[in-house]
This record gives sequence, C-alpha cells and structure tokens, in this order.
Amino acid sequence: MRRSVGRFAFLLPAALVLLAASPAEAYIGPGAGFAFLSSFFVLFVTFLLAIATILIWPIRLLIRLARRKGKLAKTDVDRVIIVGYDGLDPKLARRWMDEGKLPNFKRLAEKGEFRPLDSSWPSMSPVAWSSFATSSDASRHSQYDFLSRDPKTYIPDLASVKIVNPTRRIKLGKYRIPLGKPVVRLLQRSIPFWKILGEHGIFSQIIRVPITFPPQKFNGAVLSAMCVPDLAGTQGTFTFFTTDTEGAKAATGGVRKPVARNGNIVEAFVPGPANSMTEGQEELRVPVRIVIDEANESATLHLPDETFRLRLREFSPWKRVTFKPGLGVRVNGIVRFCVLSIRPHFELYLTPTQIDPDKPAMPISEPLFYSVYLAKLLGPYSTLGLAEDTWALNERVLDEELFLEQVWLNHEERERMFFNAVDQTKRGLVACVFDCTDRIQHMFWRYFDENHPANRGKDTVRFKHAIENLYVRADELLGRIMKTCDDPRTVLMVMSDHGFTEFSRGINLNSWLALNGYMAMKNGDKTCKDWFQGVDWSKTRAYSFGLTGIYINKSGREGQGIVDPKEALALKREIAAKLSGLRDEERGKTAVNDAIVAEDLYTGPYLDASPDILPAFNTGYRISWESAVGKADGKVFTDNTKSWSGDHCVDPRLVPGVLFCNRRLARKNPAIVDIGASVLDLFGIERPRHMTGRSFFRAAPEEDSAGSVPRGAANG
Amino acid sequence: MFGPKVKISKDLMEKIKKYSALAGYSSPDEFVLHALEKEIAKLEEAGSDEEIKKKLQGLGYIS
Repeated sequence: MRRSVGRFAFLLPAALVLLAASPAEAYIGPGAGFAFLSSFFVLFVTFLLAIATILIWPIRLLIRLARRKGKLAKTDVDRVIIVGYDGLDPKLARRWMDEGKLPNFKRLAEKGEFRPLDSSWPSMSPVAWSSFATSSDASRHSQYDFLSRDPKTYIPDLASVKIVNPTRRIKLGKYRIPLGKPVVRLLQRSIPFWKILGEHGIFSQIIRVPITFPPQKFNGAVLSAMCVPDLAGTQGTFTFFTTDTEGAKAATGGVRKPVARNGNIVEAFVPGPANSMTEGQEELRVPVRIVIDEANESATLHLPDETFRLRLREFSPWKRVTFKPGLGVRVNGIVRFCVLSIRPHFELYLTPTQIDPDKPAMPISEPLFYSVYLAKLLGPYSTLGLAEDTWALNERVLDEELFLEQVWLNHEERERMFFNAVDQTKRGLVACVFDCTDRIQHMFWRYFDENHPANRGKDTVRFKHAIENLYVRADELLGRIMKTCDDPRTVLMVMSDHGFTEFSRGINLNSWLALNGYMAMKNGDKTCKDWFQGVDWSKTRAYSFGLTGIYINKSGREGQGIVDPKEALALKREIAAKLSGLRDEERGKTAVNDAIVAEDLYTGPYLDASPDILPAFNTGYRISWESAVGKADGKVFTDNTKSWSGDHCVDPRLVPGVLFCNRRLARKNPAIVDIGASVLDLFGIERPRHMTGRSFFRAAPEEDSAGSVPRGAANG
Repeated sequence: MFGPKVKISKDLMEKIKKYSALAGYSSPDEFVLHALEKEIAKLEEAGSDEEIKKKLQGLGYIS
C-alpha cells in the first residue's frame, strides 16, 4: 500500500512537471532514432535518486567499511594507478631509454620493473583491452576484432556493440515518433576486474579504456572510449568543405562538400544525425556563415548562437551546436573547425560532430553524470571513440602538422581528466588509456624507412622525429605522474596493449582463397567487390573479412554454408598448412609465419565466434585494406601507400606491449591478461576461476599458464 | 532487481552453476544469456546492409 502511494506521489509532480516542460532533450543511439526523454523527467528522477542516495548513504558506508576491513587491511596497497599508453612499443622504449631520452621510464624501470607484456591473440586494441579488462582471453570475452559478422548474411557489424532500434512508431502530422528508445548493448562478455573491485567496496575511476561503450553499471565511474559513435552514428565522419569542385571526390572516413563562394561569403553547415522523427530521415544541420578575411588570412564563422574568428590553419575550441528535429526535441553536439585554405580555394575541415559530454544525447559514462561532471569541471572534450582523425590524414585533407595538433589537443583533455581522478583517489583504482601513442605510430611509422611505399609523394623529413618526440612527451607525462604517485602504498603500472611494427605490404586473403580454389565467384572470375558482392556461396568453402582471419563457410552456421561441420576441422588444417610460410616473392620475404586453427588457441565458451584460422603475419605485412572489407582483387600482395603505415595486426609474438611497474614482479613473462588478476591480488581479492590471467606478483606454478599468446603454438 | 525473471528448476540451476564454471563463463547468468542468444540468433532477422556499413564508417583500421 505504501509503495502504491509512493508511486502516485511520484507520478503527480512528474505529470505537472511534464505539462510545464520546456524543450526536451533527445536520446539517440548510433544511427538510431530519437526517443523522448524529457529533461525535466530526468531531473526529477535524478533528484529522487539523489535523496535516496543521501538517505541510505550511512548504511552503504557501513557495508563498505565492513567489506574493506576484511580486505584492504591485509594488503599494503591503497591505490593502484594504471597508465595505458596504447601501442607503446618495448623495443623503441628500450632504445630511447638507452639513449637517455626517456629518463622517467628508466627511473621507473630501475625502481621496479620493465618487461615486454604479452599481448592478446590477435594483437588488436579491442581484443587486448578486453583481455585487460576481464583478465581473460578472447574466447572468454568474445572480442576477436573490431568487426564481427552475421553468419546468416555475411554482413559485418561492430563486434563490441549491438544497437536495436525501436520498431514501433506513432504518426503525428509529419512526424514519426518512435515508441521507446534504442537499446545499446555491450557485446564484450565476462566481467571487468573493476566490477569485482567494486563488489568488494573498492572504488575505481576508469577513463577511456577501449571497449567500455556502452558504459556498464558498477561501484565506480567509467568514461567510455573506443567505439563511442559520433552524432551521425558512425565511427567518425569528418566534413570537408571546398570551393574546388573539380578536384572533389568521395572520401573514405569523411564527406567532401562542394560550396560556392560569393564575394567573401561561404555558406556551410555542421552535419548532425539523421532525423529519425521524419519519414525521409534527412540529415539535421546547423548553418554556418563564413566571412573570409583574405588580408588577414582568417575567417569569421557565424553559428546561430555564436560568432568567432579563426586564423588560417588554427583549430577552433570545441563549439557547441544544437540540432532541432522538431517537437521541442534537441540534440547537442560539439565540433571543431579548421580553415585549411583561403586561396586559390576556400577549404574548411570539421571534425566529426561528437556527443556533447555536458548534455550527452546518449550515455557515454557511468554514472550518467560523470561525463557531465568532467565537462563542467574541465570544459568540453572529445567523446568519439577514435577521436584522432586518421582518415583525414590518409585522405590528405589534414596534413601531418594539423593531425599532430589535433592529437595533442585531445591528449591534453585526457591528461586533465587523469590527474583529476588521481587527485580524488586516496584508496582504489585509477586506469586511464592515452591513445596518442597508437595513432601517431600508425600514421608516422613510414618515416622510419625511406623506402616505405607510403612515402611516395609525401614529406619524409619534416616529421622524421614525430614518434621519438611522442615517446619523449610520454616520458615527460610519466615524470609528472610519478610525482603524484610517489608513496609506498601506491602501485603504479605503465602498460600498453601491444607494440608496433611496419605495415608496408597488404595481404588479400580473399584473393589468396580465390586463387587457391577455396572461394568462388558468380562470374567464374577471381575477383569480387566490397562485402563479397559477386561471391558464389554455393561453391565457396572459406572467406575472410576484418583484420583477424579466415572463416569456413560452414553448413548450419553460415546462411549459405556448404562445408559439412564434420569436415570443417580438416579443412581448417588444410588451409592453415597451405597458408603457413606464404612467401612474398616480389620482396623475397616470408609474409605469413604461421597460421593457427582456432581450436589450437582457445578453449573458452565463445570459441564459436572466433575466426576459424588466424594467420600470424610477419613484420611488414597485414591484411590488406581491400581484404578487410570482403573484397578480392586478384592480387595477393599490394603495397600499402596510405599514411597509416605502421600497425600491430601481425603475429602477436612480434609486437608485445610494455609493462613498467614500481614494484618487482614475481614472474618473468607477464601478459596483458594478468593485469586484472594482479590488481585483485594487490587488494587482497581472490582471482575468480573464470579468469585465465594470473597475478604476476606471485610466482606461478607453471610459467606458461598466464599468457593469452600461446607459447609454442607456432614456429615463432 | 525488477527486471524480467525466468523460472528454472533447482536441479537445472545446479547444473548451470556447475557447467558454467567448467566452460569458463564468469557466472551462471552469462551462461544462460549466451545459450539463449545463440538460439535467438537463429531466428532473428538481420539489420539493414547500408545502415550497418554506415556505422563502420570512420573506423581507422578499415577503408
């Protein structure tokens, strides 16, 4: 009875508030529609939750203290600080430490430990960071690649996120109002170790660790990163306005928009999400009027609510834009502008329009207000999962200088978030991942080798030291971190998910499969277009997409599968044997060191989601851009001429990450899967049985039990 | 706490607990979820081709 009264007491003011509601906020999903979520309703519920939280706080405190008493009191650790430098390479770190360029890394290594850190198999960020989070291999967290596929249709999708749009809509004049909101689900399985910490009363702040989107509830705070979409629902689509209509062409990762110049005026716009409240779902836009000042090499940009001046080749601060799909709904975004050229052609670059962390159109943090809190405290910040615009550099819309500037602008935001978390944490965990190390190495690796095919027609001198400067800057940050963590009860780990190597040759696995009779085309040819257009599935026994490996076209699993499941293992072994040792005769090098059958690598419950064969590529080789999107072009090997010239999607044994720690390890061969188990150990919490990782602060009974990379599984 | 609930017999639950741990799941809940998802996937319709491709746009690793 009391509960019923309470519910009515809740509904009455809610109804009054809704009747008097001013413009509502929208909730959007990536590429999905809107659903009404009144800001007043949110405020009201938040207010109730706040009251409830205050009322039960003493009880929660007692429970927490009781839990801690039994756990933390037994350990000599108050804080664990994990600094993730995505892609930091142990060979480069060793080289520049030895040359005296990284004094803080050297000091940390001398104080505690510096070791290569075995990556995951495959050595790719979404996989490796999932192994970091869950202390498990891919077959236990189900992340094998950026992409997964629907076996029924062979259509790819993001592996880490599933979005289900509301299907029911009501018609209201010209509007189609979705009933319900899009459901956004994380597809990573198992449990992050910080959730286990939370269950033991230990609070964590997890900042931009990849594959934490959508954010999951736990006793702590998390800000999502990799795979957070932009407002258009993509993984990041830049816009490039140009008056040069002759040179205009389609751009990968972005949109080229021809614009007219009338005197000194150019009319452009900020692109937003598709308006899913209307039948046509047209793109929402915010107009931008640009007044060019040729004499001063600058422009004045007029947004509906703001006017600002930009010098040539200067990034604007984040600018807030509001899209209005109708019926009082608003969607808020942020964007940076950069005028690239004034003459002979006017050119303007816009970053992908990102979710405004201050008024998030969808949750990008847990609790929801964590992103808002950070925005209020530190100002707007990039929220896109892959916020460094590598495609804009590949497409030569941005040049190296502007790309670096963008990277460092993003990085500075994350530094501020990190130090804020460290300052707040007296007991518990802070884990923060910095992306600059990964992105800059991807885009500047070509400078290490003057013969790299990506150097053709590009500068090879000016940014020759970009990667070295990156490591020096990472060292300088580490110096500041060490100052704040210099106490015996704080454990500091600096780690990376994988190392780096050259990517100069692409291998088209689909071409190889077609040329070797495993893949067939409808026209009898050896080529097919993107996403298997033209493939004859009734004669195809194996296919490849993404960056991880080869799938068998298995009957009962694939929509048009033809391989009898009883014969699948034999076929896998046949293909793996044939692919192992594949030579690139043009270069006189072995391109595939080894090819491993999934059953020989994994034993976990999500083995069925794995590629069936995982090639271990030699240094310099990676699955080609064409093969990754399901295309066969008749050529097995091609030069990689993109600025994206370094990579790590090779044999994981060739690209371990790093582990620096201010404490000595008890084991010689730490792996990324061990970190979660090790942190639990530091806080006196027993490792759950499902974890494959082992604490490296304890000597292992068997040395090879911990790593996700199989030792001895291949010829090495 | 107030989410949907499904009744499972005690002996089946015991088996789920035992085999979920043996199989490497982090919890019986995860085991049940995976088993159900696999079955649902056989029946579910696929999403729109174009919609999915658009979602992947901008992913640095693929063109």
